[in-house]
Amino acid sequence: MANLNIDSEKDRTYDAIVIGSGISGGWSAKELCERGLKTLVLERGRDVKHIKDYPTTNMYPWEFEHRNELPYQVKQENPIVSKCYAFHEDAAHFFVKDKEHPYIQDKPFDWIRGYQVGGKSLLWARQTQRWSDFDFEGPARDGFAVDWPIRYADLKSWYDHVERFAGIAGDRDGLPELPDGEFLPGYPLNVVEKYFKQSIEGKYPGRKVISARCAHISQPQPIHIQQGRTQCQNRTLCQRGCPFGGYFSSNSSTLPWAAKTGKMTLRPDSVVHSILYDEGKGRAIGVKVIDRNTKEEIEFYARIIFVNAAAINTNLILLNSTSNRFPNGLGNDSETLGKYVAFHNYNARVYAEYEGLLDFKTEGRNPAGGGYIPRFRNLHEQETDYLRGYAAGFGAWRSESADQSGLGKDLKTSLLNPKLGNWGVGSHMMGETIPKAESYVALDKDKKDDWGVPLLKISIDYDENDHKMKKDYLDTMEEMFKVAGFSNIRRDEAWQAPGLDIHEMGGVRMGHDAKTSVLNKWNQMHAVPNVFVTDGACMTSTSTQNPSLTYMAFSARSVDYAVSEMKKGNL
Amino acid sequence: MNRRTAIKQLFIVAGGLMIASSCNGGGDSASIELRHVKLSADDEALIGDLVEAIIPKTDSPGAKDLNLHLFVMKMLDDCHSPEDQEAFINGLEQARKADLKTEVERLAYLQTLKEDVFFSILKKRTLQGYLNSEYVMKNKLVYELVPGRYDGAVKVIV
Repeated sequence: MANLNIDSEKDRTYDAIVIGSGISGGWSAKELCERGLKTLVLERGRDVKHIKDYPTTNMYPWEFEHRNELPYQVKQENPIVSKCYAFHEDAAHFFVKDKEHPYIQDKPFDWIRGYQVGGKSLLWARQTQRWSDFDFEGPARDGFAVDWPIRYADLKSWYDHVERFAGIAGDRDGLPELPDGEFLPGYPLNVVEKYFKQSIEGKYPGRKVISARCAHISQPQPIHIQQGRTQCQNRTLCQRGCPFGGYFSSNSSTLPWAAKTGKMTLRPDSVVHSILYDEGKGRAIGVKVIDRNTKEEIEFYARIIFVNAAAINTNLILLNSTSNRFPNGLGNDSETLGKYVAFHNYNARVYAEYEGLLDFKTEGRNPAGGGYIPRFRNLHEQETDYLRGYAAGFGAWRSESADQSGLGKDLKTSLLNPKLGNWGVGSHMMGETIPKAESYVALDKDKKDDWGVPLLKISIDYDENDHKMKKDYLDTMEEMFKVAGFSNIRRDEAWQAPGLDIHEMGGVRMGHDAKTSVLNKWNQMHAVPNVFVTDGACMTSTSTQNPSLTYMAFSARSVDYAVSEMKKGNL
Repeated sequence: MNRRTAIKQLFIVAGGLMIASSCNGGGDSASIELRHVKLSADDEALIGDLVEAIIPKTDSPGAKDLNLHLFVMKMLDDCHSPEDQEAFINGLEQARKADLKTEVERLAYLQTLKEDVFFSILKKRTLQGYLNSEYVMKNKLVYELVPGRYDGAVKVIV
């Protein structure tokens, strides 16, 4: 006989519910549990335990069935995710396959997803650059989107907080456009990256090349040892999951920390269908979950709800949370929900060679990936015929290669005696895109997925601003490469669809005004005060920095506010 | 080491190859399980001779010692389009008709192919298998799973 208690409403009631266990959900969970709240973390995918569920983490190249290539059939069946740079045999199990979770592309959009405990925090590129007021003031200064309801000063101590715990390697560069943080030692630029830095900084005041800041433990502190994490071992096989906990992920860091409090219940295989709204109470009371495997419908209840489902899925859940009060999606009085979605313009790269410094090479591998060029375009004032600007990655490498043209003994000798060639150098752009009402996600009226959730339609595209910015990046980087004396410069204009940057943001934007935004300055819904959104969906604008660090800071800050409001009896 | 033992070892080490069930009962099909292409034991032997011509045994193991013919077959089966597979089978048929008796003849034959799809698959996969083999990665061009360091300015000793 079934134990009726298990089904009772009381047992399905928590202080807080966190939807999603990725980078922001992990932070929400940790901060809620540390403050003593009984917290339910819902994850739509399977469980992935740190180390235990990283099946490929210690495999050598020859141990992979196809030497890390994916079979023809897998590529044919997965044209979208196959475009992702990390979708190979060693990490394919952490990516959503196209057929499993279809969506509708009104315009081409490569939606890259990771449905498991930890989400994409297992797979991310681990770049962690802070925002500054040059970023937060962007929309107000340049007249797009709406004004951010916060400034850097509101977030600074929370950046400090998350950086200390996560472990961020970086140099203190003293740049107002890219504020310094609570850094572990940075990974030094290599000899050619340093040379480029000197060439550029000498010639162009205001342009900087710094060591990219990244979520790697370059020198473990007690707080990292307490998490069971240790020094990054420079494997750069991060997408497999790290047995050292050398980079930050929910799985290695925030989730086990939250679990240790005894306050967290983690429920994998829980597809959130919608958030339940009680019109009498004027607040959200819980969530409706469909069990991924059994398709059973279950309701869970809580006083506060954090939505951390990843930007686009957070939009989906809110759009699907309808009631008489909110017929067009939860908290959507402004009619902006699902709109003003933007991303980062990664649509251009420049490659070249350097024939100098040939008496040097590198050894080992750099987890930071090399250099970072903070945004310099339109920083202090508008100077181009497009809005905003771009940051750029810059890296140099020198590898050995062999002449593979022959056959037989000569070929074998050549293969076994590779030679150092010229240095290779490369850069990629990370451009800000302008959020617009016509860049939106919406529910399809007819089609539903296997769990009864409407399919999402995505309608997002580049615009004229993006094209002009791309051209400027290519021209500018080519010029800087020439200044540095690089040769064989190649402009790579290979078109990639929005989405493949995996920096989709917005749709549930923050703002001062409930008439034009969904969230207030605390990431709290203007219209539903016990619902908070602290993942990429909250972003009012995108600026140029890799966004995950900012989501972490938003999550911690927002939890702190929510819990203090609960204690005051306001929530 | 006989062929059966070699294959068993490969199975244990690489994990990726399944011994064909017919291997237990003899027969004329290939020794590994293939799902998309049909290759016979004769084909396998011919591919073995051809990969050996590309990477011959010297004072270090050659392609056949490293079972690269099985790797080529595995990759052809799993990682190529049906068109590629067909072109490879046709190319293999041509090679058989050429009736190559010695390694010198095989080498000379392969040198006539160059732009051929069969040849490009055969060579690409042989080299991939060789450079990613446990032997080469442990003994010749050592692969570090855990470098534990990054030095961006190492003086090159000339």
